[in-house]
Amino acid sequence: MENTKDESWHPLVEGDESRHDPLDEVANADHRKFLITALIGLVVLIALPFMVGDYYVSLLSEILIFGLLVSGVNLLLGYTGLVSLGHASFMGLGAYATAVIAALLGYPVWIAMLASILISLLIAYGVGLLSVRTKGVQFLLITLAFGQMFHAIAEKTRVTGGDDGMTNIPRIDLGFIGLDADHDRVFYFFVLFCFVVAMAILRRIVESPFGRVLVGIRENEKRMLAMGYSTFPYKALAFGISGMLAGLAGSLWVQHSFFVNPHIMTWEMSGEALLMVIIGGSQSFFGPLLGAAFYVLAKDLLSEITEAYLMFFGLIFVLVVAFFHGGLAGFAGKVSERFTRGKSGGEERQ
Amino acid sequence: MTFFLFNLLNGLQLSMLIFLMAIGLTVIFGLMDILNLAHGAFYMAGAYFGYVVFQGTGSFWIALAVAPLLPLVLGFLLQYFVLQPLIDRGRSAHLDMALLTFGLLFFTIGLIDLIFFETLGLTFMSIDKPAGLGSYVDIGTFYPAYRLFIIAVGLIVALIVWLILERTVVGAVVRAGVDDREMVRAMGVNVYVVFASVFALGCGLAGLAGVIAGAELSINISMGVQILIPTLVVVVLGGLGSVKGCFFGSLIVGMTETLSQAYVPALALFATYLILAAMLIFRPQGFFGRTPKSV
Repeated sequence: MENTKDESWHPLVEGDESRHDPLDEVANADHRKFLITALIGLVVLIALPFMVGDYYVSLLSEILIFGLLVSGVNLLLGYTGLVSLGHASFMGLGAYATAVIAALLGYPVWIAMLASILISLLIAYGVGLLSVRTKGVQFLLITLAFGQMFHAIAEKTRVTGGDDGMTNIPRIDLGFIGLDADHDRVFYFFVLFCFVVAMAILRRIVESPFGRVLVGIRENEKRMLAMGYSTFPYKALAFGISGMLAGLAGSLWVQHSFFVNPHIMTWEMSGEALLMVIIGGSQSFFGPLLGAAFYVLAKDLLSEITEAYLMFFGLIFVLVVAFFHGGLAGFAGKVSERFTRGKSGGEERQ
Repeated sequence: MTFFLFNLLNGLQLSMLIFLMAIGLTVIFGLMDILNLAHGAFYMAGAYFGYVVFQGTGSFWIALAVAPLLPLVLGFLLQYFVLQPLIDRGRSAHLDMALLTFGLLFFTIGLIDLIFFETLGLTFMSIDKPAGLGSYVDIGTFYPAYRLFIIAVGLIVALIVWLILERTVVGAVVRAGVDDREMVRAMGVNVYVVFASVFALGCGLAGLAGVIAGAELSINISMGVQILIPTLVVVVLGGLGSVKGCFFGSLIVGMTETLSQAYVPALALFATYLILAAMLIFRPQGFFGRTPKSV
């Protein structure tokens, strides 16, 4: 069943725009729903930092940064059906790349950020080329293996401080618009800007024919192969893009916390990213973001009571996998559906 | 030469410890398609319960005999009352069960942290080695007797598992189940009881490994994850579901970890992963694994 050779990269429906498809109406309704949700979310994200204290602004930045990471993880898990247990290493890669280029080599932070996005894309694509040959449990283990290797390299490298990591990483210089990113509120808006741009691009990707092929792979890879799609390059590129998002998250993380150490590359971190995706709901675009918000806030609340917060997350995770397959997003979707249906007097679509 | 012998025995000792973990994991996967990531949790359950029993009775041997019963019973309950019903209700054995047991691992780590560290204030514990095994044996070099004991236990368990699987009716049922579950069911075997029993025995062996490790290594919160990763590597190297592969896989991983640490420390942290990555790229089904059944 090897067909990695042919280079078919054609979109799913070529020159098919004129075709009238009853499904288009559903797609349009979905798109409208997406825009409304996105707009409400954006307004909330812009308004919130003016209503809460400094501490919570910093938590909000954390949520957005983890949101980028888990959206990347979800491109593989939710859209393509591949469970990666090594994505923290790409976050670490982005973080270390930014730290080295900005703090050690002294280049401006924006160059460091662009470079770390590119580096994480390339390395993730390379890792993807090797690992997407496998799937299921083997894929989980090979990503774990690569993750552990990167972690080991980070621990062994002297220039970056080995196990202790690096401190005093600068934040981006926003002097050209007269702002100082060292203020948490200003930095939050910078993170929000990166977040919105990345999410818009990601939405374009998953709605494109490329994204459709990924969903096809998740649903039935054999059928996609039978239809003539060489699935291998699609999966490898999806892996690369998802690693790139993780890299961007790492690059922002290191500026947010001013330091980096190998701890952000551990497999526990990758596991926590999976927790966020599953708790939030893997098969929706916004679900993982809800998961990230839930995770950061709940961790903050729980850590006041107990250090053993993992116990609660583990339990919630088990319950979600066992009973609430859609996660938080699936739950919210059901509630809103019931709500709208109740308002429109039980009128059923289709 | 004595340095080499010393390291060889250390490698063998680690191999046997990993083997006790991996044998359960691989048979469970072969039979039920479940990648039990909570295996590390059962290992911890064995070690911590062993510590409690040891504190209560003062005897290593009682702890060794009693403590694996907890993971054994928990494993049976988990498979029979949680995992199997969920699979019957349409959750995928492959993905969902791996995720669920992964959550369970996190839960157990948190729970143990809460009980032993936050409540009792214990961090690094250990079980005392039994009298007679605490000393060193002269075999050209002075070698800890307890590590020879670990090697012996590993070899004995390997022999027993092999005998059961190859020479008894129960073993025949299990082997048949690995090959074709539905057929075994059609032959009138209650596969659910077989599944749960095998799951329980695998968890019991993980618990046994936990108690044994508790007297040699320290009992701490990260022990489960520490042993789980080489175990997973073994299972993949040997081929999922293969007992023979599991034994040789354990030897490869145990030896690689120990010898690389002794001779090329720079490589030690990722030698095993290099082997794993190479393996998955060139022979994803493992040394002794068969190519997956075509659907």
